[in-house]
Amino acid sequence: MLRYTLGRLLSGVITVWFIATATFLAMHAVPGDPLMNEKATTPEIRQNLAKKYGLDRPLPEQYVIFLSNMAQGDFGLSFTQQNRRVNDIIRDHFPVSAALGVLAIAFAAAGGILWGALTALYRNRLPDVIIMFLVILGISVPSFVFAALGQLALVNLNQWSGTSILPVAGWGTLSHMLVPSLVLGLGTMALLTRLMRSSMLEVVNEDYIKTAKAKGLSAPRIFFKHQLRNAILPVITVLGPQIAAITTGGFVVELVFAIPGLGRYFVQAVQQLDYTVIMGTTVFYGAFLVLMVIIVDIIYGFIDPRVRLK
Amino acid sequence: MTASSLLAVKNLHVEFETYGGTVKAVRGVDFAVQRGEVLAIVGESGCGKSVTVQSLMGLIPMPPGKVTAGSATLDGVDLLTLNPKAMNQFRGKEMGMIFQDPMTSLNPTMTIGDQIAETLKVHRGLNSTEALSIAKDLLLKTRIPEAERRLQQYPFEFSGGMLQRAMIAQSLACSPSLLIADEPTTALDVTIQAQILDLLKELQAKDDMAIVLITHDLAVVARTAQHVCVMYAGQIVEQGGVDEIFYQSAHPYTVGLKLAMPTNVGDYNKTLNPIPGSPPDLFAPPTGCGYAARCPQAMQICHQQNPPLYPDQTNPGHASRCWLQDPKAPKVSALYQPNLIASDRS
Amino acid sequence: MSLERPLTEADFSPAPGSAAAEQLTRPSLSFWQDAWRRLKSNTRAIISLYLIIGLAFFTLAGPLLWTQDPAAQDLDQISQAPALPKTARLVADYQPFAAPIVADHPSEPEDYPDELAAVAELSVLGAATTQSVKLTWAPVDQAGGYSIYRSERKPEGLLGLGLPLETVNAGNIVGFEDRLNLKSQPYYYSIVPTDGFDEFDVVTTIKVEPEQSITISQAVLQGLATPDDLPGQVIPLAFHPFGTDYLGRDILARLMQGARVSLFIGVVAPLIYVLFGVFYGGFAGYLGGKIDQILMRFADFVVALPFLLFMILFKIAFGIGPGESGVMPMLVALILLLWPATARLVRGQVLKIREQGYIEAARLLGGGSSYLILRHIIPNTMGVILVTLTFAVPSAIFTEAFLSFIGMGVAPPTPSWGSMCNEGVKTMLSHPHELFFPALFISITVLAFNLLGDGLTEALDSKMRTRDQ
Repeated sequence: MLRYTLGRLLSGVITVWFIATATFLAMHAVPGDPLMNEKATTPEIRQNLAKKYGLDRPLPEQYVIFLSNMAQGDFGLSFTQQNRRVNDIIRDHFPVSAALGVLAIAFAAAGGILWGALTALYRNRLPDVIIMFLVILGISVPSFVFAALGQLALVNLNQWSGTSILPVAGWGTLSHMLVPSLVLGLGTMALLTRLMRSSMLEVVNEDYIKTAKAKGLSAPRIFFKHQLRNAILPVITVLGPQIAAITTGGFVVELVFAIPGLGRYFVQAVQQLDYTVIMGTTVFYGAFLVLMVIIVDIIYGFIDPRVRLK
Repeated sequence: MTASSLLAVKNLHVEFETYGGTVKAVRGVDFAVQRGEVLAIVGESGCGKSVTVQSLMGLIPMPPGKVTAGSATLDGVDLLTLNPKAMNQFRGKEMGMIFQDPMTSLNPTMTIGDQIAETLKVHRGLNSTEALSIAKDLLLKTRIPEAERRLQQYPFEFSGGMLQRAMIAQSLACSPSLLIADEPTTALDVTIQAQILDLLKELQAKDDMAIVLITHDLAVVARTAQHVCVMYAGQIVEQGGVDEIFYQSAHPYTVGLKLAMPTNVGDYNKTLNPIPGSPPDLFAPPTGCGYAARCPQAMQICHQQNPPLYPDQTNPGHASRCWLQDPKAPKVSALYQPNLIASDRS
Repeated sequence: MSLERPLTEADFSPAPGSAAAEQLTRPSLSFWQDAWRRLKSNTRAIISLYLIIGLAFFTLAGPLLWTQDPAAQDLDQISQAPALPKTARLVADYQPFAAPIVADHPSEPEDYPDELAAVAELSVLGAATTQSVKLTWAPVDQAGGYSIYRSERKPEGLLGLGLPLETVNAGNIVGFEDRLNLKSQPYYYSIVPTDGFDEFDVVTTIKVEPEQSITISQAVLQGLATPDDLPGQVIPLAFHPFGTDYLGRDILARLMQGARVSLFIGVVAPLIYVLFGVFYGGFAGYLGGKIDQILMRFADFVVALPFLLFMILFKIAFGIGPGESGVMPMLVALILLLWPATARLVRGQVLKIREQGYIEAARLLGGGSSYLILRHIIPNTMGVILVTLTFAVPSAIFTEAFLSFIGMGVAPPTPSWGSMCNEGVKTMLSHPHELFFPALFISITVLAFNLLGDGLTEALDSKMRTRDQ
């Protein structure tokens, strides 16, 4: 298990290096000199940047400087905001996105497993039909539509009740997080429900369920101890990639609900062509997602004895 | 066939609804198992032998499966009419079952010990420590070395033969009076097969337990069973003591099965004789004898009417479902009786 | 078994050898025939197939049948909700409005009173049309001015007066003209007199229902009338079955044009990258060994790139020149990032198939590489590829919509369903239809491809061939 973990971490580091390189190359393929952009106005910033990134030097040397900065965790200075370090931007805004994302993943995983198990239990009966219809809606409706509908619902709720039950936008308290994270988790919840359902139905046909019946176990015991546990395993394996989906889905939700998260900041940076912020956040997000996938894999290893003991 | 039989199955019919139509998988099966005996049910794939025993255990998925007629009484209780809760009092406690593929028949995420202990906890209300200590004894009883360590292991850490021993240990946990073994050796290699069969026989003798053994392998039958039912196309075509089945076969299908079996008796250059053709489609079972289309001795009547069960006049308990046994039929001494089991039955 | 008749000797005569035993009892179906049969029995998949055909028709043939210009702005019907065809009365071109002034009334109050009387004789001047609503009233003694409000709902006393339109700062000006985004619906105009500083708690309300109208010059511009037509005539207006957007553009026409962008990206990008992935993965899987390892390691890296972030990054890197729609950069970015999933899948399939007995058998019978690939490997991976392709379409459509929504997609004025949503969400509270229709089309398309993909998966799953329903 230790070797497995170390191996995963090493390949994770190489992956992050690849992401950083791809980011560097993509940004240097931008037509024209990014520093000549009218957005990077003041001469001091320009000078600082030129010095910091060795922009007057040849590309390989710039690459080395870039990599060593990244390795030290230094993402540089913002192009558009004088004297604001990208690290500060990440430190200020990432926790907001992370809180939103964690709550969304929690909603999605809990909901997905619950609904998926229910549909399998009531296969081809009314609850199954209703839930699967909602699941298909959840998979087919874009996240921004959910965000818009969520906000519309909040407006109507507050209008109807005459008071502000839940805030329509903004950030600060748990009540600000509830609806945005639910909206953010809906797509993933639908996906997990589907996966959980098919996993449950697959497990039901396994021989060991037949064995459990032949042992004279009660239906609830078979359901919880044998079927559910084995059915959850494949659901956990997709949680890693789904964290990535939720992170980027967060951009839209942060925009619609005016939440000061890193995603909203990233979109802003893209619109203003703030290259250092774009590069910094991309590499940061890339590293974060790689780490998340590794963590989910390791957790999975602890749950599934077949992985743990190898 | 007396009232004292441990298990008596009468006129069992099982059907499956599929999108292609209704499959009549079992079409009127009668047999009885006495206490402490081994009954083998033989037949080729798809003849309904697994469906027969799984319907006794209530393991047929319903739908699409359905028991349309018949009864199966264990110790005077009709298993087919029990509600699920009452059924659970029998499964695992009165009847144990082991399956064909031990690799997939145990829960991959539970330790072997927990899986065996589970049966004891449910049926005998033991706590974990007690149950695990009995589980350890069971592993020892089924000759699994280092039982203490093995209890903590997961199925993927076991070999196929060891897993089947663990399966047997699990099914014997509550000392059932009947063990159903559904092709217990098919997925194992030959040397392990013999070990498992010997183990089953030994445990059966020790606990005076009855075994219903499903197999398609006549060698396994000869080695283990006292009574045999030969199934074909959802019906029992011949049943009787193991000697009658092997030496006085009354049904051409039984003869065909024997001819198709490899043997080391006599002429080593002898060729195997497969039975030509394939079993009938059970979506629409034939009106006559199911075997008629493949039978070398088929007569006009065989294609028109299903034969009744003709008891053997000289050997009580031996009977066959073949028109050749009708008094009006031509006397065929020509039912070829190869002498192939002699040396195998020690 | 009861015998139906007494048996005779003849019944026991040998039967002729039957050939039936050797016959297969049921007709066999080829893999694709069987898959098609199962797909046809899946109602949802077949409905989805019809939906997709309908969408293709909507996109390709739609603009031929619905010939409105998606870029034309119908200024008389801005943010128009879906409605039946409308007619409008032709009115003369706009003439500046001179508010009536009561000559013998002071413009300012002589002494500021504690109370003012309510406005009396409030009436509509001339015809109320959607071009302009003119109001006039009798001057209020000692008033220093009048505030005019407009509401779509009937005000209750001083509450809900609605939109403040203007405050006239003279007691003797007793007229007002409203030209603000008028629609053919009831309005409640409220006049509150003021003394120049504060408004008083007296209000007079009048209900006005302007008639849909269009100026002659505008009608001529839109080809609805000729310059010879006279004011007062009723002419049909341009019909917008799905309404118009915030610039008065026809939503149906824009949906058709937007479908070209969305479906082009949604179908072409998956086609190219799935094809590339098939070659890449097939190549790696077939060759095996070191080359396979290196190729797949690279694919692993590309998979690890955070997809949407790199979509944005690549879009910036490729840049959008003036006059370009930004469709091509998005297409290239999609292809660059999404091929590895297919490559992995196909490689896995090829590796699996390579180990199968029938490949060994075919090789032993003298089958060459190209024979093996054409006869065995490709047909056996087709199902998986087809399913991948079906599921790739909705994800590409989602990606386009997502990027357009955050403003990183196609450049305006080119419409795509995503960019229409982006515009629609801004007016969501007042005009939900501007968001509803593009979102509906995205959802239906994605739904149809997802259900078709599900149907195909089930139909092509070889496990399902033997499993009962």
